[in-house]
Amino acid sequence: MTFRLTRRTMLAGAAASLAAPRLAFAAPIEIEAHYAMPAVYKDVKETIARAFMAANPDVRVAWRQPAASYDEATQLVLREAVTGRQPDLTFQGLNRLRVVAERGLAVDLAPLLKAEGDPAKAGYTPELLGLGQAGGIQAGLAFATSNPIVFINADLFRRAGLDPDRKLTTWDEHIEASKRISALGGGVHGSYYRWQGDWIYSALLFGFGGAMMDAAEREIGFAGPEGRASLSVLDRLVKEGGMPALSGEAGAQAFAAGKVGMYYWSTAFLRQAMNSLGQNFRLATWEFPLGDKARGRLPTGGAAGMILAKDPAKQQAAYRFLRYATGPEGCATMVKGTGYVPVNQIAADDPRFLGDFYRDNPLFMTGVRQMPIMVPWYAFPGANGVRITSVITDNVSRVVEQKAPVDTALADMAREVTRLLPRA
Amino acid sequence: MNPGSQMPGSHDRSLAADLPRLALLSVLGLLFLMPYIWMVSVSLKPLDEVWRASMSLIPETFAIERNYGRVFREVPIGRYLLNGAIVCFGILVFQLAFALPAGYAMAKLNFRGRETLFAFVMLGLLIPAHVPAIPLYIAFAQTGILNTYAALIAPSTISVFAIFMFRQFFRAMPDELIHAARMDGLGEWSIVWRIIVPNAWPAATAFAIFSVVAHWNDLFWPLIAVSGKGELATPALGVIYFRTEEAGDDFGALMAAATITTIPLVAAFLLAQRRFIEGITMTGLKG
Amino acid sequence: MSDVALPASLATAPAKERAGHGEALAAWLLTLPAIVAFVLMLLIPTLAVVAIAFTDYELGAPALRYVGLANFAELMEDRGFVTSFRNTAFFVAVTTPVSIVGGLMLALLIEGGTRGRAFFRAVFFLPVVSLMVAMATAFQYMFHPTIGPVNAALRALGIVGPNWLGSSDSVMWTLAIIGVWEQVGFNMVLFLAGLTAISRDLYAAAEVDGVRSAWSRFWTVTWPLLGPTSLFVLTITMIRSLRVFDIVATLTQGGPNKASEVLLYTMYTEGFTFFRMGYSAAITVVFLLAVVVLMLLQTRVLDRRVHYG
Repeated sequence: MTFRLTRRTMLAGAAASLAAPRLAFAAPIEIEAHYAMPAVYKDVKETIARAFMAANPDVRVAWRQPAASYDEATQLVLREAVTGRQPDLTFQGLNRLRVVAERGLAVDLAPLLKAEGDPAKAGYTPELLGLGQAGGIQAGLAFATSNPIVFINADLFRRAGLDPDRKLTTWDEHIEASKRISALGGGVHGSYYRWQGDWIYSALLFGFGGAMMDAAEREIGFAGPEGRASLSVLDRLVKEGGMPALSGEAGAQAFAAGKVGMYYWSTAFLRQAMNSLGQNFRLATWEFPLGDKARGRLPTGGAAGMILAKDPAKQQAAYRFLRYATGPEGCATMVKGTGYVPVNQIAADDPRFLGDFYRDNPLFMTGVRQMPIMVPWYAFPGANGVRITSVITDNVSRVVEQKAPVDTALADMAREVTRLLPRA
Repeated sequence: MNPGSQMPGSHDRSLAADLPRLALLSVLGLLFLMPYIWMVSVSLKPLDEVWRASMSLIPETFAIERNYGRVFREVPIGRYLLNGAIVCFGILVFQLAFALPAGYAMAKLNFRGRETLFAFVMLGLLIPAHVPAIPLYIAFAQTGILNTYAALIAPSTISVFAIFMFRQFFRAMPDELIHAARMDGLGEWSIVWRIIVPNAWPAATAFAIFSVVAHWNDLFWPLIAVSGKGELATPALGVIYFRTEEAGDDFGALMAAATITTIPLVAAFLLAQRRFIEGITMTGLKG
Repeated sequence: MSDVALPASLATAPAKERAGHGEALAAWLLTLPAIVAFVLMLLIPTLAVVAIAFTDYELGAPALRYVGLANFAELMEDRGFVTSFRNTAFFVAVTTPVSIVGGLMLALLIEGGTRGRAFFRAVFFLPVVSLMVAMATAFQYMFHPTIGPVNAALRALGIVGPNWLGSSDSVMWTLAIIGVWEQVGFNMVLFLAGLTAISRDLYAAAEVDGVRSAWSRFWTVTWPLLGPTSLFVLTITMIRSLRVFDIVATLTQGGPNKASEVLLYTMYTEGFTFFRMGYSAAITVVFLLAVVVLMLLQTRVLDRRVHYG
């Protein structure tokens, strides 16, 4: 091939040789990123990272060995902070942002976002941003979210003479339906509410318009009428609806085996549910019933990306990756790969990103329809913040096991939690 | 029921007379193996067959490619098994190196402080594994050996169980052997090297089984010590990869991973069985 | 000769008086590597933890404060801790005797003939090599009250099975059953070795003395000679039971409502899940004190009984 040595090419060559040394020295910045639940997220994260690196060759994203659960991810970050080895970017469960932020480990993303203009224009509505706020700063950006829904065994509904596509929206109706399905016998349970854990309990509480603590975070807020109503629902589901007191996994297994009519759990389970049911029975999904239609809200599960790097160059690089991962393209990849609820309004609204996906997978729309009422997953303040959630679970289980009446359990819960709160 | 092996008449028993014993063992054996049988059965099934209300062990559709394939595709399980082998072997070597001489000294040599030392050994048996973890983690981080094989191996190099066992073993060994060696002018170190170690071989095999089983399945410490990109991950980490609470486990792949990581242990036990029983026999647990 | 603390004067052969210094020096040199490893990997970290028990250290916190006995005071009032203690004691009390007797029975059965020994040894040892994280799902299924095979079998017999793992009344029993499942194989192997060491001549001699039935053979020859083995097995089994953790962590997470909470699990969750390292360290200290006392009692009581040189 002949190369014409024209003036133009000579000039181009000179310019290139001047630029070359600079390019050669611009080695990519490497950031270490960490997340939990590889069985769910690995493909999605790596796909997003590859797309990002293709468009941004000056940044390299290296993935650390992922943790098995959100709690272990938090433990890892805290442990490694002791020795200064924490990852540059970490995806933490939404209820653990507070613990990490209050240790002073997270970078405030608010100034970084503001520098780019109005975040809402990029798809970050105030509600979505709120999910990542903790410890007084914008500690993270939500990456994948989930909310509670009802999984319906359509076949059992039909057998009990009910219509699975006519969505029931009040708890009274749900309890009634549960009773009718339990009456089928043969080991069938009308419903199973996977009550273990504070997240799913707050689905009831927030649904009635309640809150875990008051706005000033001084007094507990779950001991009032909303809290009482929440525990009563569980009590009635067991007493009247025939709900069994199973462990979380046992309940999921029973549902997969076609023995449970209504299963109350996170949208995160939807993908797995569809895979494990196959043709065993027809699955439907309903929105979660709200105790108070006007004030009711739902807690948000899932994870948010937090930047822990101390080096400014790494912070910048990590920020750019996080913005891509939570931006429209990253969000669309995430939803298609995991079935979680979108965290970017543009991705949710603009049919170009997820239109096909939702058309082909209508069951996932249930979670999306609940987006407007999603509120943060509450984290209690103080050194005992995490421990409090186990106190709540313990007392709720007393009601489910019918070992204590609602008022006793509620009073004990209030007393024990108050004792564990920081003395103001 | 006949106690003791080679009981008079027991080794020539006809099959008919042996039947009750074999039947009982088979029934018990089946009960014991049930979880394993189910585990392997699930590892062969597609996800929608696992939780059918009617239980059947043989899958309708074989999902071997799907489950085992997923394990091999998503997790570098071969690498993890190799790491497991390296770590367990490394741990075993050091455990033997430290415990053999110590066991011998505490069994055969007379010195002040021997009983105190043994009391410490017993104390060591009681310390749970989680206790030294965080301080060790910090110390390893400071000395920069985190995320290396050394970090995985070091904390387990001291096995008080081994010292206990070898002490028992050497107590049962006849003193004449050692007296004779001393008469020949051998120093203590040569005695250990030339006489003790070769004779300790059966007991060492026995201990090796317990040690390998314990460390192959260890989840807790590797999670702490492997803090980088995970090239040093051990077999158990390959199994928990498939456990996710919120979204539901992929049971087929989980059981497949569990089967894959258990097979080497079973194979090792089968191979080492005879040596192993022989070894403990001579550990002088009889006195 | 397998007891724990034998006075030095009764140890081994009498002709050890000479070369006291040389021998002592050699002994110390031989034990030196083990001592160094013990101090570095076990002793110092444990002492560090004991020190932390007197502070308010939280994982990841930038600083810590000395709080004296505050953690221990809180421990005494903690209803969860008392439950934890009780559950652990229950677990040890149930699994120890059952897994020891079970191990012995299996060993006797296997050694009672020549057929299938290697096979059955492997079968019953298999639970020992299992990874509880994987087995947990199998047990969840086995003991599932509605779709599980255990209750299905009971139903066929007309019995309504309990909610094994889900009810606070039955959960500790279920965990004890699983604990026995895990431990029996280990003990069986130890007993097997003890049994194969019993010389045939002793049985022959016993027969000459008129001991004929299998049962009396067991009582007059086998059991006494198994004494030291049994003591070893007892010690090891008790310690392993006291340290129960995996089955609780993977199957019940201490629930429902702390019905299956055990000491090591409480210690772990307080420190690693709730990040309250100081409090967790206090639990560790109490745990260690309790087991040391237990071990001392056990050796003192049983030391005299079993001795067959």
